[in-house]
Amino acid sequence: MILFDRVSFSYGSRPVLKEMSFYIEEKEKVAILGGSGDGKTTILKLILGLLKPDSGRIWIDGVDITDKKEEELREIRTKFSIVFQEGALFDSLTVKENVAFPLREYTQMSEEEIDQKVRELLRGVGLEEAMNLMPEELSGGMHRRVAIMRSLAAFEPKMFLYDEPTSGLDPVNADIICQLILSLSSKGRGFIVVTHKIFDAFKLAERFMFLKSGRILFDGDKERMLQSELLEIKIFLKEIPFP
Amino acid sequence: MGIGKRPFYYKDLIEQMDYAGTGSLSIILLISLFIGMALSLQLSAELSRVGLKMYTGKVVGISIIREIGPVLTAVVFAGRVGSGMASELGSMVLGHQVDTLRVFGLDPIKKLVVPRILSAILMLPVLTIIGDAASLMGAYYIAVFVSHQSGAFYWSSIREVLVYENVLAGSIKPFIFGYLIACISCYMGLSTKGGAIGLRRTTTKAVVISFITIIIADFLLTRILLYLLGFTV
Repeated sequence: MILFDRVSFSYGSRPVLKEMSFYIEEKEKVAILGGSGDGKTTILKLILGLLKPDSGRIWIDGVDITDKKEEELREIRTKFSIVFQEGALFDSLTVKENVAFPLREYTQMSEEEIDQKVRELLRGVGLEEAMNLMPEELSGGMHRRVAIMRSLAAFEPKMFLYDEPTSGLDPVNADIICQLILSLSSKGRGFIVVTHKIFDAFKLAERFMFLKSGRILFDGDKERMLQSELLEIKIFLKEIPFP
Repeated sequence: MGIGKRPFYYKDLIEQMDYAGTGSLSIILLISLFIGMALSLQLSAELSRVGLKMYTGKVVGISIIREIGPVLTAVVFAGRVGSGMASELGSMVLGHQVDTLRVFGLDPIKKLVVPRILSAILMLPVLTIIGDAASLMGAYYIAVFVSHQSGAFYWSSIREVLVYENVLAGSIKPFIFGYLIACISCYMGLSTKGGAIGLRRTTTKAVVISFITIIIADFLLTRILLYLLGFTV
């Protein structure tokens, strides 16, 4: 589904990705690991066409999106559901309005139907009572749950993209988010989760890509990762109390 | 910019007009009132030395309607509304809210920038008129109750300067200032990078560049308008 062919990207004079190539299947559960500034979030933005690579090609479902214009990318983006770091809820809208936002923009549903759908989605993550709260009144975990439901409201995505879904959360809330991610992917839909929390990555994914200085240092399953002799990976693995 | 293209976000436009217009009203009234009073004091003191105190209303009227009113209101507007636009859009960029809009297939320019530009173009002229009125009232208070001039004469002097040329010269500027402030502030906000420090930098830049642009644009507009309206310098 996603093919990166020698993709390079830099922010100004700072190179972030260097001739990166990989292929991800639609139903795969992938964790992209790495330190801060190693280009993990950049990969998600490149997949959605929010950033353009300096060189190389990006293919989504057999379509080269590298040079596509903003309006042409609209259809490509509906194949994915993305939850940005910290949720990216609209500050000026209530929880209900945030979840209703894509429904109002994309569907012809009546206000009554929208209200029903929003309640249904929020009930699924135990947040029906928080419908009229503003994002600033929510905890970090609630933020992420609302953002996940918003990303699902109007589309039936083929794949989920999560940017640091558990960062800044306590272990209980992080576990709630991990369970939610797993339950959403149980219908055979894959996901890419970008994280620096190896413990959560092991809970979620089956394939692990480790980035370092703009290159893929490791790409494989959990067993191979646990046996890796690479120093950077060993440092990450130290986070796990009982591997 | 896509101002004339669909879709139009009317609700966003109304919200922005409320923020820019209603929200700025009290500060514009307060500042304009005191500027009018200070100007009237200065002119009364200076003109009375040469025996021309009765011209206070006329000079105050011309100064406020043609020059001080539009510039002062625009500067206050840039400081309050322009900085708000830049910081709001900047924090939306940093919080990935602008990316989220793009993922949902919305054009951030149409959704965020166009309503802000239109609200500034529509509200700044209204605020300028209200600010001018407040300044003239402040100047009246000083002229009559402090400088002991005739109130009727003051208002007849003001009516004399409210001619087509002066009103036109003073009313064109706010439309252009509003457009410039909103464009600069939105551009700066959407260019934000680098966290809290980046946000501080872009907000400051938006205000400073707006101030400089207002002053330069005011000079150029004054030059052009005086020429077009047939004033000799």
